[in-house]
Amino acid sequence: MNPSCALEVNGLSIKFGDFTAVDDVSFCVRKGEIFGFLGANGAGKTTTIRMLCGLLVPTSGTATVGGLGFGDGGKGIKRIVGYMSQKFTLYNDLTVGENLDFAAGLRKLDPAYAKKRRKELFALTGFDRPLSTMVRALPGGIKQELALSAAMLHDPEIIFLDEPTSGVAPAARARFWDLIRKVTALGKTVIVTTHYMDEAEQCGRIALMRTGRLIALGSPEELKASAFPGPMAELDFNGPPPEGFISGLRKARGLLELSPHGMRWHAAFSGGTEMDSALAGLPAGASRALIKPSLEDVFIRLVEGKER
Amino acid sequence: MPGPSFNIHRAYSVARKEVMHVLRDPFTLALALGLPVMLVTFFGYAIDFEVKNLSLAVSDMDNGPSSRRLLDIFSASGYFNVSAAGDPIRKVDAGEAAAALFIKPDFSRDLRRGKSVSAQFVLDGSDNSKAAVIMGYLPGLEAAADARLADYSPSPPVSLETRFLYNPELNSRWFTIPGLAAIIIGLLAIMLTAMTVAREWENGSMELLLSTPVRPLEIIVGKLAPYGVLVLTGVFFVYLASRLVFGVPFAGSHLLFLLACVLFIVAALAQGLFISVATRQQQVAMQLSMITGLLPSMLLSGFIFPVESMPPFFRYFTMLLPPRWFMEAARGIYLKGAGLRELAVPFLALTALSALMLALALKKFKTDLEP
Repeated sequence: MNPSCALEVNGLSIKFGDFTAVDDVSFCVRKGEIFGFLGANGAGKTTTIRMLCGLLVPTSGTATVGGLGFGDGGKGIKRIVGYMSQKFTLYNDLTVGENLDFAAGLRKLDPAYAKKRRKELFALTGFDRPLSTMVRALPGGIKQELALSAAMLHDPEIIFLDEPTSGVAPAARARFWDLIRKVTALGKTVIVTTHYMDEAEQCGRIALMRTGRLIALGSPEELKASAFPGPMAELDFNGPPPEGFISGLRKARGLLELSPHGMRWHAAFSGGTEMDSALAGLPAGASRALIKPSLEDVFIRLVEGKER
Repeated sequence: MPGPSFNIHRAYSVARKEVMHVLRDPFTLALALGLPVMLVTFFGYAIDFEVKNLSLAVSDMDNGPSSRRLLDIFSASGYFNVSAAGDPIRKVDAGEAAAALFIKPDFSRDLRRGKSVSAQFVLDGSDNSKAAVIMGYLPGLEAAADARLADYSPSPPVSLETRFLYNPELNSRWFTIPGLAAIIIGLLAIMLTAMTVAREWENGSMELLLSTPVRPLEIIVGKLAPYGVLVLTGVFFVYLASRLVFGVPFAGSHLLFLLACVLFIVAALAQGLFISVATRQQQVAMQLSMITGLLPSMLLSGFIFPVESMPPFFRYFTMLLPPRWFMEAARGIYLKGAGLRELAVPFLALTALSALMLALALKKFKTDLEP
């Protein structure tokens, strides 16, 4: 195992009967990194994360999390990681204190230690409400921050967050990502799944998954550079594009990707010369501008492009 | 069985959380506390399986000392209001009388001469549950008649050795109220368990529990123990009501009764757990609990309909149901003071069924969790 990896996966597959949820996946997550999983629903993100938390045992391949394997069915891994699930965070009918006490009890934390951790985590998240507050009464964003505190009560080195910000207001989402960065600044490793491209941009590295396979892995910049080695132009026709132009452009040599974005179109080419010749026939009144590809473009090219 | 990895502190954490849930959930509280009160009131006061003050039309063609004494026995029983006016059969036909009694002209004379005598009892069979109850009174009355009419006979008439043992007053409450414990366990324990575990599945918190080092058995013990206590409290309430309010005698061992309750509760909690794992939805779990919990303990346990008078198929079918055995044990302990030796069959059956239920539920729970 590579010592700089917080967790390492080699040739991992997870099958449910005949269905292969995760298919021959290998990667390493570095210590202190924010590692994102990006992919459509059913791409295998959650299954991978559940396995890495010790909730599922791999069908084949090896996985080491914090130096531990699956020889004991994942029990050891459960002890050392923190997990915040997609669906459930905290019990609404219990108070803040009761929820945290419960999390501490499940992990057999010493009460004095649990209290110390609670104070540290409240300081980290900026939580200043009384312990007797009912969780039901907390706003969505605060609730997620508290759920992260519950998942980190036992001071895990590796923390898994499965779509932690789904259903949370944009401002609270930004706050939550600030918190994730603070957590990694403490040296913790955070593995996160998301649907939001703006959140994926904030990850150190991203694993792109499609139908159980890992199709790309790298920093947002690396992914953009490998998906789009040449230039990308944004075309604005000031209205609907002239008939036949788009279908003609699709056949142009060197075109990598052509997709509508609102009223405009993004066209990516393998090189500058290819772009110039393909766009030579751009109708009058239309304009083009060189743009940087976004992660969304990468996602469309790598994930959806293959599904066509 | 708790393995070496079973940790009582983690189970306790789960249990403490569960108590908080119960204390904050008005529905569960109302159900757990209200149901026993409601059942006791209902079956103690409103529903009376006894039939009293029935009008009995009499044709006494003897009108001698013995026939009058026989009529005294009927009216003194409290079950019948004796009336000699009118044609008895016509009164039964018209529904004015529930039964008719015919005494032959030579009744007193035959009895004096030491002959065996008989009187004809005609019963309206159209309401067969009522008829069954009246039929049940007859052997007792017959026995009373044998004893009291013997003075008038040189040799005692053939006496029927029928007596109502254990419940000489034939008080139906004595019979019904101890049985309520079965309804409370059969309904409450199954339903509360099914709902609480299904809730963890439904809102996804089961996943979170399992992502911690807590073991499945610790979750089960922690989640079910508070409901076991809650249900036992309900049974204790029924016990108190039966003794203090209704004066039901308790002839047997309290410890044995507690053991029967615990065995039945374990079976019921296991059944609830099985339902919740199989359905994973509160709504469906609740409906299934009603059907598989309330109906057997109400209808097939002998609570209302005696097991002996069921069609053969159901008579054998009830052997698979813990409430039937619990009912037998509970009534035996309460009224007969039966010990473990007399109740060996119900206790063995209850133990075996509880163990089977628990094994099934645990297996289902574990296989559903492990990939």
